[in-house]
Amino acid sequence: MLAASAAALPALLATAGCRSSDAFAGPDPLAGRPTPSPDVITLQAVIAAERAMIALYQAAVNKELRPADEIRGLLAQHRQHLGQLQARLVLPPGVPTASASPGISPGTSPGTSPGRALGRVSIARLRAAESASAADLVRRLATVPPALAQLFASIAASDATHAVALGG
Amino acid sequence: MAAGSGPVSGIQALQAALAAEDAAIFGYGVAGAHLSGSRKTAAERDWTGHNKARDTLTAMISALGATPVAAQVFYRLPSRVHDAASAAALAAYLEDGVTRAYLGLVAVSDQRLRRFGALAMQSSAERAAFWRGGTQAFPGLEAS
Repeated sequence: MLAASAAALPALLATAGCRSSDAFAGPDPLAGRPTPSPDVITLQAVIAAERAMIALYQAAVNKELRPADEIRGLLAQHRQHLGQLQARLVLPPGVPTASASPGISPGTSPGTSPGRALGRVSIARLRAAESASAADLVRRLATVPPALAQLFASIAASDATHAVALGG
Repeated sequence: MAAGSGPVSGIQALQAALAAEDAAIFGYGVAGAHLSGSRKTAAERDWTGHNKARDTLTAMISALGATPVAAQVFYRLPSRVHDAASAAALAAYLEDGVTRAYLGLVAVSDQRLRRFGALAMQSSAERAAFWRGGTQAFPGLEAS
């Protein structure tokens, strides 16, 4: 019995007339993945949007948009944003992490393919994406704890300065 | 990276923002004396903006039944201001202080104050970037 695998445990418990939740005082380990809290879902969405922003900037770098040094500097700050956001996200093993998706690419309509969207990268597109990101982060403040709200607000302020730096 | 420790009331955070605005009003008076041309015009524009912000905060604090903190007669500056470069550095320093103060508002439970603080710190971060000549990754959370 001691050698029984975790997969066999439900059957063993059923045989004994027990549910797995009867055997443990804490969360049921056999109930599947825990549902993420709303602020975790929000953080995942913000991380995905930040990744999409970085992809947009990387496309601008690849396209050699000018001013190149300015764009590289702003890209570096977005990578710092992503690092701080990811540091706040702790997920159980096996839970998929957020990734850039077409539906949340900054300044892009939902459903637009990333390749097509990045092909149209321009300074105006970067500027619009920065402004949209700043506004989106402020909208999300209400649903997150204070410390995360401060990080969102700081990143939003950074994005607002980026928009101005790009001529906004 | 949190700006403070422990819960802060809306009134406390508003008072801190008001104190920062008062300091900025004083500091811009010093900085402006060492600027000329478009930079002086920008300093005057920002000084006017901080006066308006002070009036707004004063009204908000009064509406909550508290007495707005009074401005100090004199503020100790971080360094001597003797030319346009040091004046611009002072302006950036002042804006960083204002940004940090508004970041405190973002941590309160009142959602309207959170939004107000977040939008106000965007304005001060933009002014800081202007005077500094560059952007920051984490306005309000970075040491100036």
